[in-house]
Amino acid sequence: MLEVRNLVKHFGGVRAVDGLDFKIKQGEVFGLIGPNGSGKSTTVNLVCGIFPPTDGEIMLGNINLGAIAPHQRVDAGVARTFQNIRLFGDLTVWQNLWVAWRDQPGQEQGWVSNWFGRSTSRRQEIQKLLEFSGLGDKADHLASNLAFGEQRRLELARAMAAKPKIILLDEPAAGMNSAEVKDLCHRVLAMKEMGMTVLLVEHVMELVMNVTDRITVLNFGRPIAQGTPLEIQNNKLVQEAYFGSSENAQGGGN
Amino acid sequence: MTYLLGIFQTIGVHTLLGLSAYLLLLTGQLSLAQVGFFAIGAYVSGILTVIFTWNIFPALAIGAFTAGFFAFLVGFPALRVKGLMLVVATISFSEIVRLFFFNLSWRVNVNGLEVGPDSTQGFREIRYFAANGWEQIHIVGLIWFMVIVVMLALWWLDQVRAGAVLRAVGTDELAAQSSGINLTMVKVAAMTGGGVIAGIGGGLFAHSTTYVDHHTFVILLATFAVSYPIIGGLRSVMGTLLAVIFIQGVIVEGLRFMGDYRNLIFGLLIILVMNLRPQGLLDGHLLEDLKKLLGRLTKGEKADA
Amino acid sequence: MNFDHIDIIQSLIDGVLFGSIYALIGLGFTLIFGAMHKLNLAYAASGIAGAYAGLMSLTILGLPALMAFFIGPITAGIIGLLLYFACFRFMPRGNHLAPLMASIGALFFIDEVIIHETSGSPLSFPAVLPDAYFFLGEFGIRGDLLIVMGFSFILMAIVMLLLYRTKLGLGTRATSQQPVAALLCGIPTHRTNGTTFVLAGVLGGFAGCLLAASVGVLSPLLTLPLTIKGLIVTVIGGLGSIRGAIIAGFAVGAAEGLFLLVRGVNERDIYVFLLLFLFLVFRPNGLFGTTINRD
Repeated sequence: MLEVRNLVKHFGGVRAVDGLDFKIKQGEVFGLIGPNGSGKSTTVNLVCGIFPPTDGEIMLGNINLGAIAPHQRVDAGVARTFQNIRLFGDLTVWQNLWVAWRDQPGQEQGWVSNWFGRSTSRRQEIQKLLEFSGLGDKADHLASNLAFGEQRRLELARAMAAKPKIILLDEPAAGMNSAEVKDLCHRVLAMKEMGMTVLLVEHVMELVMNVTDRITVLNFGRPIAQGTPLEIQNNKLVQEAYFGSSENAQGGGN
Repeated sequence: MTYLLGIFQTIGVHTLLGLSAYLLLLTGQLSLAQVGFFAIGAYVSGILTVIFTWNIFPALAIGAFTAGFFAFLVGFPALRVKGLMLVVATISFSEIVRLFFFNLSWRVNVNGLEVGPDSTQGFREIRYFAANGWEQIHIVGLIWFMVIVVMLALWWLDQVRAGAVLRAVGTDELAAQSSGINLTMVKVAAMTGGGVIAGIGGGLFAHSTTYVDHHTFVILLATFAVSYPIIGGLRSVMGTLLAVIFIQGVIVEGLRFMGDYRNLIFGLLIILVMNLRPQGLLDGHLLEDLKKLLGRLTKGEKADA
Repeated sequence: MNFDHIDIIQSLIDGVLFGSIYALIGLGFTLIFGAMHKLNLAYAASGIAGAYAGLMSLTILGLPALMAFFIGPITAGIIGLLLYFACFRFMPRGNHLAPLMASIGALFFIDEVIIHETSGSPLSFPAVLPDAYFFLGEFGIRGDLLIVMGFSFILMAIVMLLLYRTKLGLGTRATSQQPVAALLCGIPTHRTNGTTFVLAGVLGGFAGCLLAASVGVLSPLLTLPLTIKGLIVTVIGGLGSIRGAIIAGFAVGAAEGLFLLVRGVNERDIYVFLLLFLFLVFRPNGLFGTTINRD
C-alpha cells in the first residue's frame, strides 16, 4: 500500500530523516515510534507533502506521491491528523467534516454538487460518521468550543471524511488521560476492522502495543528495528535507544 | 433630497468595494488591489458606453469581467506565496493600474464631440445616464439593486460547501490543504470573484459621477475597501454594510465640518480598532454580548412586571 | 527611439547611485520583517516625516543645513518607536492582518498630517550636498549622488556591525528565529523589537533626508512610491535577507534609470512595479530568500 524508499530529509545541517525504508500492507496498522526528534513527525509531513524530501521515494500503490501537490495526495488516498490539533475553529463540527468530505468511490455526486450543494446533500452521511466518532449530538457546535478529547475525535473523523486509503495519525494520544487512550484504542481497532490502513506515530506505548501489527523504530532519522510489538518489546537495541531501561518497556505492554 | 441620494450612492458603491474585499478576506488574505479592479471596471465600462456607445448593462458586465480577469492574473502568482507577499503585490498592482490610466489617452470623435480618456485630464463625458433620461433616483436604485444581488450571492455562498471551504482556508491553511483543498485555486477563485464585484462597483461609480481620473483610484480607497469588512467583521455581509454606513455616513459625512481632518481620523480609527478588536468590531463576541444584554433587559422587564 | 550604449550606461550609473536610497529603505523593511515577521507599511512614511522634521529645523529654528541630517533621523527613530507601540506591540502574536492594517492606517495618518501642515504643496529642500559633477571617460557622475551612495554604505556597515557584533544584534537575531525561546533565555523581546524599530526608523530618516537632498524637494507624493519601491526591494531581495535587500536596492535603482531613459518619467514606475510580478512568477522567494521552513 504505502511504500517509502530511502527517504532523506535535511534541515540545514540537521538530518531529520536519514535513509528510511518501510512498507505498509493493505489493512494493516503500522507503528512508527522513536524518541523525540527521531524524525517521526517529519516522516508524516513528508508523506503529506508539507515539505519536499531531500531524497527518496514515497509510493502509494502505483502513485508516486512525491510527484503530486499536497492537496492531490488527499485525492490519491492519504489523510492525516495533527500532533497539535488543527481544526477549523470558526466552523461547526459537521462543517469541519463537510469541508474535507469525499463521496464514496462510485457514488460521486459531481463537481457542482460538491462545491455548491446545499448543506442537506450530505448531511445524513456526515451525521453517521459523527455518531461513529461519538459526536452525534455536537454537530452544530462550533469546533473551537469542544472539549479536548472531542476535538481529537473530530480531527480523526475529519480525516476519515476524506475516504482515504491510508490514515496517518500523528501522536493522536498526546495529552490524553488513560480512559481516553483506551477509547482511542477501540477506535483505531474499529477502523482496522472497517478495512482501513493506518500509519500510527506515537509515544504512548499502551496505544502502540495494543493496536499495531508491525512497528518500525526510529532513532536519529534511521530505522533501528522492525517487527511485531512483541519482538520490538524484547529488542535490546530498542530498549537502549528508546525506553532507556528495560523496566519502563514492560510497563505499557500489557 | 439630492444630498441624501448622493450619500446613498456613495454608500452603495463603497459597499460593493467592501464586499469585494470581504470575499477574499474570508480566505484570510488582505488585498489592496480592489481599487485597481474598481478602476478597471470604471474605465472599461466607461469606454464602452462613451466611445462605443454601448448600452449600460453589457458595458457593466464587460467591465466586471475584465476586472475579474485581471484579478485572476494578479492572484495567480501572488497567492501561490505566503500572505504578506499579496499585500506588496496588490499595492503595486493598484498603482500600476492608476499609472496606466494616468498615461492613457484615447480621444475619439463621437457625434461631433471629442470624447474618451485624456490621460492627466481624466475621463470626462461618461454621460450615459443623463443622455438616456435616467434620474438620480433610478441610478441609486440600480446601484442598490446590484448591492442586494451581490449580498444575496455572498449570503448564498455561506449556505453551500464553497463558503465553508473559504472559511476553512481562512482559519487554517495547513489543515485545509491536508483536507484535500487546493489553496491556490480557492484563493484565486475568491480573488477573481472579488475582482468582478469591484469591477461592477467601478462601472456604477464612473457612470454615476460622469467623471473619473487617476486621483480617484489611490491606495487610500483600497484601504477603505479592506477596512469595511475588517471593522465590520467576517461573520456576515451585514457587518460590511454597517461598517460602510458607519464610516461613510458618520465619519465622512457627519464630520464634514472638520474638513480634511476626516482622513486623519480615518487613519487613527483603523489603528484604534485593530488594537482594541483585532477580529473586527462586529464579531461574534459583540453579537453575543448584545444578545446577553437584550436577554437581561427583557428578563428585567419580566421581573418588574 | 534609438539609444547608444553611452546613454544606457549613463542611466544605469545614475540609477545605481540613486538606488542606494532604495537599498536603505529596503534594509529598514527587512530589519523589521526579520525581527517580527511583519511588515510595517508606515515605514517609508516615517522616513519622509523625518525629512520634513529636518527641513523644519532649518526653516523654523534656522539651524545650519547639515543639522537636517541629525534632526531628521532622530525624529524618524522616535516615529518608529511610536509606530511600534501603536501598531505592533499589543497585537496578538498569531495575527498578521491586524498589525498590517494598523500600519496602513498609520501610513495615511502620517501622510495626512504632512499634507495638512504643508497644504499639500511641495517644499524645496536646501542643496546640502555639493553640486559637483565628475567625468569618468565619457560618463558623468553626479557628485551629490556619489555622496549619497558613500553615506549609505557607511550606514549599512554600521547596521551590519550592530547586528553581528553586538549583544543587541544577537538578541534581535535570536528573537527573530525563536521569539518564545529568546524570551525564556532572558532576552527582553519587546525591548529588542522596539530597538529594531528605532534603528530602522533612524535608517529611514537618513534615507528620507538623502532623498530630499538629492531630489531637491519634499512632497507627500514621495511617500507611496518610496513605500512600494522599498517593499519591492524587500521582496526581490528575499523577505528577511539583509544582503538581498541591499543588492536589490541597487538593482531596482538601475532598472529605474533604464526605464526612465526608455519610457520617460510618467511611465517609469509602471515598469519598476511590473518587475515585482516578474519575480513573483519566476522567483517567488527572491534573490536570497530561503524556502526552508519547519513547523
